Amino acid sequence: MTLKVYGLPQSSATQRVLVVLKEKNVPYELVPVDFFGGELKSLAFLAKSPFGLIPYIDDDGFILCESLAICKYIAAKYAGSGTPLLPDQSDVKAVALFEEACSVEESNFQPIATGIVVEKYFKAFRGLQPDDKVVEECISKLNEKLGGYEAILKKRRFLTGDNMTVADLAHLPTGTIIGDVGVKLLGDPDKRPNVARWWKEISSLPSWLTVVAEAKAA
Amino acid sequence: MVFKLFGNARSRPTLRVAHILKEMQVPFEFVAIDVQGNEHKTAEYLKKQPFGQIPYIDDDGFVLFETRAICKYIATKWRGQGPALFPDPSDLKATALFDQALSIEYSNFDNAAVNIAVEKVYKPKYLNKPTDEALVAEQVSKLEAKLEGYEAILSKQKYLAGEYVTLADLYHITFGFYIVEEGGLMLFTDEAKYPNMARWWKDITSRPAWLAVKGGL
Repeated sequence: MTLKVYGLPQSSATQRVLVVLKEKNVPYELVPVDFFGGELKSLAFLAKSPFGLIPYIDDDGFILCESLAICKYIAAKYAGSGTPLLPDQSDVKAVALFEEACSVEESNFQPIATGIVVEKYFKAFRGLQPDDKVVEECISKLNEKLGGYEAILKKRRFLTGDNMTVADLAHLPTGTIIGDVGVKLLGDPDKRPNVARWWKEISSLPSWLTVVAEAKAA
Repeated sequence: MVFKLFGNARSRPTLRVAHILKEMQVPFEFVAIDVQGNEHKTAEYLKKQPFGQIPYIDDDGFVLFETRAICKYIATKWRGQGPALFPDPSDLKATALFDQALSIEYSNFDNAAVNIAVEKVYKPKYLNKPTDEALVAEQVSKLEAKLEGYEAILSKQKYLAGEYVTLADLYHITFGFYIVEEGGLMLFTDEAKYPNMARWWKDITSRPAWLAVKGGL
């Protein structure tokens, strides 16, 4: 049975899963959810995804939530297909550095970048005005964090070393939206040349460009 | 060379790592970082931890930061010496459910828990600043909205990843405990409202390895 992804092509969390599926050449079916119709609060949905969040996958009866967990599962299950997106599992230190990079994204990037997305993207979508003070604070914090990224990427092509992993790709959806709403911190080569180099490489992946195109077409 | 933990004696994230070191019976040396003096923002420190955060570890020259990565590394390297705190990596589905539980902690619990801890405990106790009660109320409300999800999961299985305790359960303790014990917010201990969550909370916070470090290093 073809792997099913329950989500939306425009949802950032769903997009993380889609880019990994595409990088690994894994066939899948995206089953759109009725987000605005309240499907995510229905008992049927909560039985699959207890926090009422998208995406979740159904891999021949195996249900899994949380985009990062799904990405890692796909990368492990299809390790031999497409781009390898995980470190050598027998290398304890390489695995540790990969977990460190995933954690860096979750703690030092995602919450701050999401703050910008909420103010400048979601609010606009609902016809509300952004809180400029919050945006300013988030930009300031993100600038500080990207200093850390610059230090890491000065020594490495990708966050964990020579090879691209799920940790790099995890930044794509939210990183792309903040660029779209005018916060061009990731792509600034003068300020942070290595972050810009890394961002250009991952955001130019054909798999990512397809995810973006499919979101626009939806 | 002995395993070195660089952090602060009462810092929640530092204690998260210390807890797992105790679980796995790994001898370690705690090195206090002068947080008050901003040692963690010096150029020297940033070479080890580029985000200027505590803690980090040095295991015979191998430097690692981010507490959850550190804890997983400890639980992996010393597997067999303590409880198996994550499933066998060759079991892809069990591993996926473990990763799902880790992500649940990070995305549904951590952010609100940290914010509440900072406002209710850290600011008044260590920074002599007043608690922003409105912010606390907002964050508590955010956290409470997630407790239904926890209760649903824990009503079907003993722990977040299945029938065995894993790192995903234990990561909740360091901030959760702070909120309950020092912040006075009985969020996860309401047996009437969330019986399974209360059962789970009591279980994980009674572990001897946690009790050994909960007062600080």
